[in-house]
Amino acid sequence: MLETEELRKVYKGKVAVNGVNLFLERGESVGLLGPNGAGKSTTISMIASLVSPTEGDVRLNGKSVLKNPNTIREVLGIVPQEIALYPELTAYENLKFFGRIYGLKGKKLESRVQEVLSLLGLSDRQKDIVNTYSGGMKRRINIGAALLHNPEILIMDEPTVGIDPQSRSYILDMVRQLNEEKEITVLYTSHYMEEVERLCDRVYVMDHGQVIASGTKNELKSILSSEEAILIELDREYPSLTRELKGDETILQTLETNKGLKLIVPKGSRLLGKVFHIAERHEAQVINISVQEPTLEDVFLHLTGRKLRD
Amino acid sequence: MKSVYLLQWQRFRRTPVMVVSFFLLTVLFVFTLAGVDRNQQQTVSTFANESADEEKVKAWIGQLNEEGEYHFILKGEQDVQNELQEGRVNFALSIDDDNFQMIVATDDPRRVSLEGHVHQVFRNELRLREVEEAFDDESFRNEVEEAKDSPVLTVNTEALAGNEEAFIYDNQLQTLFGMTLFFSIYTMMFSLLNVAEEKRWGTWDRLIISPLRKWQLYIGHLLYCFTIGYAQILVVFLLFKFGLGFDLGERFGTMLLVIGCYAFAIVALGMLLMGLVKSSQQLQAVIPIVATAIAMLGGAFWPVEIVTNDIVLFFSQGMPIFYALEALKGLAIYDRTFQEIAQPLSFLLLFGVVCMGIGVNLMERRG
Repeated sequence: MLETEELRKVYKGKVAVNGVNLFLERGESVGLLGPNGAGKSTTISMIASLVSPTEGDVRLNGKSVLKNPNTIREVLGIVPQEIALYPELTAYENLKFFGRIYGLKGKKLESRVQEVLSLLGLSDRQKDIVNTYSGGMKRRINIGAALLHNPEILIMDEPTVGIDPQSRSYILDMVRQLNEEKEITVLYTSHYMEEVERLCDRVYVMDHGQVIASGTKNELKSILSSEEAILIELDREYPSLTRELKGDETILQTLETNKGLKLIVPKGSRLLGKVFHIAERHEAQVINISVQEPTLEDVFLHLTGRKLRD
Repeated sequence: MKSVYLLQWQRFRRTPVMVVSFFLLTVLFVFTLAGVDRNQQQTVSTFANESADEEKVKAWIGQLNEEGEYHFILKGEQDVQNELQEGRVNFALSIDDDNFQMIVATDDPRRVSLEGHVHQVFRNELRLREVEEAFDDESFRNEVEEAKDSPVLTVNTEALAGNEEAFIYDNQLQTLFGMTLFFSIYTMMFSLLNVAEEKRWGTWDRLIISPLRKWQLYIGHLLYCFTIGYAQILVVFLLFKFGLGFDLGERFGTMLLVIGCYAFAIVALGMLLMGLVKSSQQLQAVIPIVATAIAMLGGAFWPVEIVTNDIVLFFSQGMPIFYALEALKGLAIYDRTFQEIAQPLSFLLLFGVVCMGIGVNLMERRG
């Protein structure tokens, strides 16, 4: 349905996106993962016809949208990273305006606005000024403004940045519902791995302006199929312990987490005893230890050598 | 385009403070500076010379007050001197039995007109007295008055070349036109900040990827700025014309056209500034500088006619407000026709087209 062909964007001599190829089938939910500065937003802007690529093409149903951007604009809903709303207007007025610019009017516009407000769970607050909303509510209206014209493709650029867990969960459920029930094709950009794992069928991983891996979640995880992760929860930080583990050749990667350490080790390497022994030597108090299958986060770390939120 | 235009009004309804403030400031400044509370007459402090007979001086003041836009008030010499020293008045009049003297503390454009009026009254009266004395005929004065009412000959004077009218200074209209056009620059240019805000919020990008054309977006915004500026100028003019009795002449319809051309030029200048600056903060800083410079050089605060510096006069020729004032004063004071003010209007339109073209181009290039 939608594909990009060797997309490249150069800003003032600096390559922001370099040869990105991706495709979306109708009704699919695809994730675009990458840390800040990976080139996700630029890629999205080029797909949405907001920014012209330096090279490459974007095709919708086989036809180039660069020559005729309106073909994609009519079927595309885009949720930008920032709250792109008029803060002094009410939610109802904002949605009505965005509906109007897509050609909706009269009763059709009114009913569509009410449908979207109901989907967003904000029908009872529709007459409130957007400026008085919480961050989560603003995010929901931000999404709603992209849904009024019943888009076939929804591109979401980090739509849950800076909001509380309840609002995030609401938004993720809503996106899932839109994808499954209304069969809207979703391209979801985030640097929250758990969101992409929860929502997307396929994932593109971007770093330094390039797609470095792509596939279904299982395909990506299979990159680390011969490895497993050991999670060690500690009562506090132990720099000397971390140093020793990082220097151990049998441990593939040692990553510091909020609660302790995460070790990527060869599958079946039976390193638990050794880890306990080293911890004891450093007088570290181990609260919990567990072994788990690699996550997409681990895959990303493996591919790029850095964490998603670095 | 209509949606974008109406949206700006919707936003204005929620945040009207800025526009209302500039409207009120205009009214306040014009009301204060144009001397509305003085029954439209310029008060002139007058005192009797030491050697003068007070009764004769009072008779002179009576005659001076008979006609004209000046109101002469007899005061003590010391009081008048204090007024002059403290800068409360720029000039005063000293009256003798059959003579007068202008006392000038600061140069004032109204002085010339005032002196002309006093001179005329004294000359007429003294001539009449001479004739009365020469012929010893008391009825002569009445005959002159009758002859004035029904003259034997009516003389029309026309010049074949160099027919520019003498400079007429009307403080009320100068203040009204100058201040109104000056404050409207703020209203129009600050309203253009909506575009900069939209770019900052991201709503601009949202609109760009909608089926709306980019020109529709620009026109929607520019039309709003034009309308709000035009409306502000019009309401102030109507308020002072019908509410406070300012004489705007008989060509109010043509004046509406002048306001339109001026508003277009200022909106276009705003677009140029938006194209030149990098952020809305910069624009907010630049607007007062540009507005004040335009007003000072263009003759909004004082008439360009009294400026003698060639450099200032040269720069004033590039200011849109100069041409708008020229056209407005031409209509209200000199009763010029549309054809006679076509030149300043053409300049305003040309200025607008050039600024708009460059401004939109710069904005688009920046993305």
